[in-house]
Amino acid sequence: MYLVAHIDQAICSETACRLCTQYCPEANTILYDNAAKTAFVAVDRCKGCEICVGICDDLAKHHAIKMIMINDLESPFELSKEGFHPEKWDGKHP
Amino acid sequence: MSFKNISITPGWEKYMTKEYQDLVERGPYGKQKKVSEMGSFKEVLEEHPMCAGCAMTLFIRLTMVGLPNPEHTILIGTAGCGRLALTQTSIPFIYGNYGDTNAVASGLKRGLEIRFKDQAKDVVVMAGDGGLADIGFSGVMHSWFRKERFTTIMLDNEVYGNTGGQESGMTERGALLKMAPKGKMFDKMDMIGLAQTSGVAYIARLTPTNPTRVASVVRKAVLIAREVGPTFIQAYTSCNIEYAIPTPKVMDDARDIESKRYGFMEIISDEAKAYLESIEPAKKVKK
Ligand SMILES: Cc1ncc(C[n+]2csc(CCOP(=O)(O)OP(=O)(O)O)c2C)c(N)n1
Ligand code: SF4
Ligand code: SF4
Ligand code: SF4
Ligand SMILES: [Mg+2]
Repeated sequence: MYLVAHIDQAICSETACRLCTQYCPEANTILYDNAAKTAFVAVDRCKGCEICVGICDDLAKHHAIKMIMINDLESPFELSKEGFHPEKWDGKHP
Repeated sequence: MSFKNISITPGWEKYMTKEYQDLVERGPYGKQKKVSEMGSFKEVLEEHPMCAGCAMTLFIRLTMVGLPNPEHTILIGTAGCGRLALTQTSIPFIYGNYGDTNAVASGLKRGLEIRFKDQAKDVVVMAGDGGLADIGFSGVMHSWFRKERFTTIMLDNEVYGNTGGQESGMTERGALLKMAPKGKMFDKMDMIGLAQTSGVAYIARLTPTNPTRVASVVRKAVLIAREVGPTFIQAYTSCNIEYAIPTPKVMDDARDIESKRYGFMEIISDEAKAYLESIEPAKKVKK
């Protein structure tokens, strides 16, 4: 068990500032769902550094990201399984 | 080495990995992507073994977005942490022996100019402070004196990160490291001054605190190197392992170091400025 970043889409979609994805050190890890207007995390790419949490809390001031145990995720999105298909996302990956 | 080479031969799609197909269909080719679009296009960087929360990883990621023509770019790296990610991009990568990067890049760029007369090819060296300021120092300086047309990007974590914490010429005076237990006894080398002395056409020093700025600096450096002369970017990319920075604090550290001593600065020659204005007349070019 380990911690990964998890984005509260209800909070994020209010502004969807897209800041966290610009500061995550890992490529294609915080993805952006254009239809649902929210960021979400590809958990198989997340290394658990918590940089995004600081960005959302201190820079964006939206407090939408928390670190949670990977086992506690209801429908984790894994990029290696699903591939990169923005047209299919549409809020399906809370 | 061109979008044509990257594209999949019709009928062979099903034999290619998902990652590859995604890259061809939704990658940053043809039209340069913006930092604000990150998360919505497939980046050229794949999974890699660099440490969690490494600022160097972030800088490399942003650099890939800044490349004006990734499909016509060749990266050159060497021993050191950065190559762990640089080898996992869909951009051709050449491993120059430690110390050889700028000699390899010189020959490569000259060869490309002969081979591809009608298509500009960009050569970008990305290596550590140890690789460029210490062991590769003479190669770097001579490539600048010879006005070789490629970009040199120093991933300046102020330490030999990959080999466990030796001091480099770019380490700050007094810094305590595992293999510099009494503290470094000499000043940080002034690579910016040396770049100026040797006539580098565009010089920038920055930290990763502003992602859009990183991409824009890389773009300028690569475009200027294409036609005008050597360009140099010195980027503070902290090593959270050797400097014991907790990963959630990595960006705080970058902001702190930026405001205390690293800053953001650009030095651009008149010729380079005129060139940028000639190719991007619509946009106002910053001084
Ligand atoms: C000729 C040679 N000497 C020494 C080494 C061992 N070596 C590998 S990485 C490295 C230090 C890397 O430091 P730096 O260039 O600052 O990169 P960093 O790992 O900090 O990003 C050294 C000394 C080598 N690979 N080749
Ligand atoms: S920084 Fe926060 S509010 Fe902004 S996109 Fe990321 S999760 Fe959403
Ligand atoms: S915890 Fe680190 S790796 Fe994971 S999404 Fe946040 S910034 Fe990216
Ligand atoms: S050792 Fe340091 S520079 Fe190398 S990947 Fe880890 S944090 Fe980054
Ligand atoms: Mg180093």
